[in-house]
Amino acid sequence: MNDPSTHAASSSLNTGGIGTMTTLQLDGVVLARGMRVLQRGLSHSMSAGQITRLRGPNGSGKSTLLRVIAGRLRPAAGTILCQAPRLFIGHADALASARSGRDNLSDWARLNGFGATADHISASLEMMSATGFADIPARQLSRGQRRRLALARLLLGPPNALWLLDEPSAGLDSSASTRLDDLISRHLDGGGMVIAATHLPLAATHEGSDLVLADPQ
Amino acid sequence: MNNLAAQIRRDLALMWAGRGDAAVMLAFFLIIITLFPLAIGPDPARLQPVALPVIWIAALLASLAGFPRIFADDVRCGWIDQVALSPLPLPLYALSKVITHWLVSALPMLVAAPLMAVMLYVDMTRLAPLMLALGIGTLALTLLGVLAAALGEGARNSGGLMAILVLPLAVPILIFGTLASSPISNGPVGNGPVGNDPVGNGIMTPHLLLLMAVTAVLLAIVPVAAAAALAEAEAESS
Repeated sequence: MNDPSTHAASSSLNTGGIGTMTTLQLDGVVLARGMRVLQRGLSHSMSAGQITRLRGPNGSGKSTLLRVIAGRLRPAAGTILCQAPRLFIGHADALASARSGRDNLSDWARLNGFGATADHISASLEMMSATGFADIPARQLSRGQRRRLALARLLLGPPNALWLLDEPSAGLDSSASTRLDDLISRHLDGGGMVIAATHLPLAATHEGSDLVLADPQ
Repeated sequence: MNNLAAQIRRDLALMWAGRGDAAVMLAFFLIIITLFPLAIGPDPARLQPVALPVIWIAALLASLAGFPRIFADDVRCGWIDQVALSPLPLPLYALSKVITHWLVSALPMLVAAPLMAVMLYVDMTRLAPLMLALGIGTLALTLLGVLAAALGEGARNSGGLMAILVLPLAVPILIFGTLASSPISNGPVGNGPVGNDPVGNGIMTPHLLLLMAVTAVLLAIVPVAAAAALAEAEAESS
């Protein structure tokens, strides 16, 4: 296995040379789950206003890569340089089932110190057309409704954030998928970055790239 | 600090919403204690010697029942990912769980303890030492529970593991706690009340000081150790 410390030294030199535009850089990242290596030598870079669509067959490490970029898992080797704040929406919606959607959003904003006002929260709920069910406990909601609440959270974060979205459209109906597309497009227009594991052509009109993970078998 | 306050506020709101769980733990505590007069009989001469140990054992067992759930919901719903990405450090998150869990599970037991003490004919002069020792002892138990719960998040079927992990470590708490609640002359150190009791009021005994020492050590270790155990905890893929 490669020594991560030498990787760190070389890649920080590289970034100095490339310039300040790059705000996310993956360099020789090796993904592993337990004893299994899923991907080796992943390299990728992106800058403000770009989207990366993460593709690949089931089990190829899309979720693992997102968790690694979010800092929730350590890569087996390689380095990740990220200069933007990161917002992560995984498979799990991070909604407390006994709390309403509105309370869940304000809990989350307070936890992160985003200082979202009630108006701000209402506006982000409105953006995902979640206002109608924002005040009932999350346990009574459908999967798609919970997903919309989880995504509404993204609007409370800083505009330069890197969004890490794991199957963001799972469970969404067609109109909510359109809203998701608007949400992502607006974020990119405002100078944000998005990495989404998705098979939809999200934000197709925006500058971006596909990162295709090979089948590990 | 605002992040810590936000986390505590959220947990208290959630526990208020699920207050039935806390009520079950309190009921468990009350029922264990009530079984003893029923089994031994209402004779004060036979109940009094076992009264303080019974209250301590009941507190230990009832606490144990609440431990597996400390982190379970946060891990399952993915909240822990959001905490890990937030400015709130994981050790402080673990500490917030200690605070909220103690408030919700131990405090009701503490409030009910004097009533149980009366039922078991505990000498009223022992009530203050009992309450003080029980307050500190339940904090130590909660710290152990948070550590065990954090370690258990990586393992399957951690309920049984929890009891095996916590009970041996809880022995010092049980010993010092029971001794700190008991009259001094019954203590094994046996130098008489004056030598053992610097303040002279029967409360600040060496046993209480040892109980405080155990609690202080746990308070220093548990948040960091629990955070390390939680660092890569994740929900099973749905």
